[in-house]
Parts: sequence; structure tokens; C-alpha cells
Amino acid sequence: MWRYAVPALTSMAFLVLMLAPLPISLPAMPHLALMAVLVWAMLQPALMAPWVAFCIGALADLLFGQPVGVNATLFAMATGTMRLAGQMFGRHGSLFDWLLVAAVLLGFALLTGPLMALAGRPTTVLPLLWQWLTSVAAWPLVVRLCAAIQRKLAASAPHWRHG
Amino acid sequence: MDWTPAPRRPTAIRREQNLALVSAVVSGGVIAAGLILLLVARVNPETASGVRAAATDIVAPLWSVVRAPIDGAGKLGGDVGDYFGAVSRADQLEAELNKANARLRAARTGQRELQQLKRLMAVREPMRAVVATTRIAAATSGSVARTAMLAVGSNDGITRDMPVIGADGLVGRTLEVGRQSARVLLLTDPLSRVPVIVERTGQAGLATGRNLPTLLLTDRIGPELALVAGDRIVTSGDGGVYPPGVPVGVVVDPRADGPVIRLATSPLGGGFVTVERAWLPIPDTQPQGPVFDAPVPVEARTRGAPPPRLRTNEPPAN
Repeated sequence: MWRYAVPALTSMAFLVLMLAPLPISLPAMPHLALMAVLVWAMLQPALMAPWVAFCIGALADLLFGQPVGVNATLFAMATGTMRLAGQMFGRHGSLFDWLLVAAVLLGFALLTGPLMALAGRPTTVLPLLWQWLTSVAAWPLVVRLCAAIQRKLAASAPHWRHG
Repeated sequence: MDWTPAPRRPTAIRREQNLALVSAVVSGGVIAAGLILLLVARVNPETASGVRAAATDIVAPLWSVVRAPIDGAGKLGGDVGDYFGAVSRADQLEAELNKANARLRAARTGQRELQQLKRLMAVREPMRAVVATTRIAAATSGSVARTAMLAVGSNDGITRDMPVIGADGLVGRTLEVGRQSARVLLLTDPLSRVPVIVERTGQAGLATGRNLPTLLLTDRIGPELALVAGDRIVTSGDGGVYPPGVPVGVVVDPRADGPVIRLATSPLGGGFVTVERAWLPIPDTQPQGPVFDAPVPVEARTRGAPPPRLRTNEPPAN
């Protein structure tokens, strides 16, 4: 039963990891939590439904000190986008996934500005492109890690993969 | 990677279709709920502050424990490096010491004069008071908001709007306070505005964050003097939160339309920071009942209305 919570729990662990006090003044920390959500939306669509992503995003808002709803909305939209893409294109291999995720992450960075403005705190999003670069670079690592977790749990419980 | 086998029976197909419809509706509802939350945050930014403080209360102590061994390893590496550079460093320091001593002798005379003058003028100055000394526990390096977390909170006497100062300069001010955690608005956050003066020219202005390593000097007032690279920027003490004279940074690009300031201290450099009491007492802006000479109705008093403020008890205006 606890295995159903593994995708959400790993995403939250990545969220806490993102709060590491790195001595950098650019927003250059890769968005590990969003990437974990995207990986699970691909590997286990049933366990990373938009409402789960919404809850993780709301937690991200609380921890990052942003108005509640910015990350929540964007996480849910990103999960929905991954679902739609999965239905439309099917599986195309890891390079296609990489490009797709890069596009979704870019959309996330660019949509953050309007949503922050909607919440009454307009900001510039251009520095977030640094985060986009590091995120795209870190994507294979996150995929490997989540796929390893997936294999391990699927080996111990064959039914887990069906959600 | 969908392993679910394709359904064959018509009932199964119908069920699949229904499930897909329901999940699409739920997804739309979830996104709509997010947008509504954003509107709520726009109307009332304080909505989630309690939940936010609880969340940082959990994470900040965790990170303050996790980073301790990493800091220890970093210090060890620094110690080894210091050992090899010791001789040249000692020579350099000796030269600097001689220079500093000469300036100190001159400054002592000036300081004595200043003290005498202040005593003659009966100047009363507010004092800086340290509330807590701590390390930065965690930070948001991957978000549009640039904040850090401290593992001290209201249990240690921290309140909102206290300046946070590092060894080399200003770091930020406290924004939200939990029981054992506090969120610090760093100078680089797009919301951060610090009243500063240019030390050389005396121009006042605002140091504005923009989510980049440098700050922008905006709203400059005072004489129209051109800045030069290397001008030191210090806090002015206006507004009453930050004490005057704390280094903020150095001008690196003296453009006329917006000089760029490099920070004096790397806010997440790992050193200790002090949280000080706000420079001036923050005025009490709690809403108070109207002034009138009639008694408060019983119904209002049973619902927690404050006692009446009588005209006779009010301090005279001016």
C-alpha cells in the first residue's frame, strides 16, 4: 500500500533537497521537484495525477515563500501536459522525452511571471532561464534515479506498475 | 510507459471512457482551484502565513542539522590551505596593520572630538541590539523568490522586520516567523528595497533586488554627481528597519540609468549572521476603536470589542 505513495514522497524529498543553502546568487538550482513530478507522470500516470501534483506544488509554494497557487497550478498543468503528450505521441525514446520536458520546463519558467503577477507580486522571470539550463542538464540524472526506484519496487511488487 | 492491457469488453471500454472523462474534469477543477488560490493571495497576501510558518518550522531545523558536517569539512579544507600560505599572508597583514595603525591614531582624535560635540548637543541615539546569532539553515536557490531560512524563531525573540546582518554586510530582513524558524527576505529578492546612501557623495537611494547576484541602485536623490566604480554603498537608516552604516555593496557599473551594485557579503556564504532588533521601534498600527464618549453596547462587548476610548483619556493632539 505504501508503494502508491512513493512517487509523491520522492517528489517531496527532492523539494526539501532544493532548499540546500548553496552559495550562489543566481536561481540556478535545478527544479528537481518539478522534474520528479514529470518523470512519475510518464512512468506511473495513475500515481501522479494532476491533483497529486497540485498538492506537491502547494507544498513548494509554502516552502519557497511564493504566493500559494503559483507552483500548484503550474505543477498540475505540467502533469496534464505530460498526460496529453503521452496520449498523442506515445513512446518515442529518451531523446524525445528530453526535448518534451525541456519544452515543459520552459513553459513553466515563462508562465511563472504572469501567475506571480496575478497573485499581486510581479517579478522578472529572465533569471529563471538559468534554472531552465541546469534543469535540462540534470534531467537524465533524475530519470535514472526514478527509473531505478521504479525497477526496484516493480521487482518486489509486480502489481505496482499498474498503479 | 503504459502497461495496462487494452480493454476488450464493451463495459470495460465504457468504464475507461468514464474514467478518462472524470480525470479530465478533476484536472480542470484542480487548475481552476490553483487560479482561485492565486486570486485569494492577491486580495489577502497574509492568507497562508500560518501554514507557511509551520512548513518552515519542519524544514529549517532539518537543514541546520544536515549542513553541520558539510561546514566542518569545508573548514578543514580551509585550515589546510591557510597553513601553506601562512608566511606571505603574515607579511601582507603586517603591512596592512602598519597602515591601519596610522589611520587609527588620526581617527581617535576625531572620535574624541565627536563625542564631546555630541555631549554638548545632548544627542540621543538609538542603540543596535543583537537578538540572535545563527547560520543560514536553508535557502530557495531555485525559485523567483529569494529567501533563506534560519533555525531560530519566535521562541528566541525573533519578530517580523528585524535586520539580518552578516560579518561583511547586510543580508536581509526577517519576513515570516514560526516558533523555531524564520524566513529571511534576501537583498537579491525582487521585493527587497533597502534605503541606502552612497558613502562618498551622500546621495540617498534604494538598493533594489532583481533575482540576480547584483543589485540596482534606483530612485537616487541628492546632488547630481556621477558615481565611479568602487563607490561604497551603506544603509542609511531610513525607514527604521536597517541600522545606518551597514555595508550593502560596492558600485561595479556606474551607469547613469541604474548603477549596478555588487553585494558586500554573499548571503549564503555559510558564515554566521546576527538578527538585530529593528533600528527604530516599529509603530503600533493595530486598529483601535473609534474615540467617542458613549459606552460600548453590551452586544459588542460580549463579542470581544475593545473597551471604549474616551475623549478624556486620549492624549492631546500635538
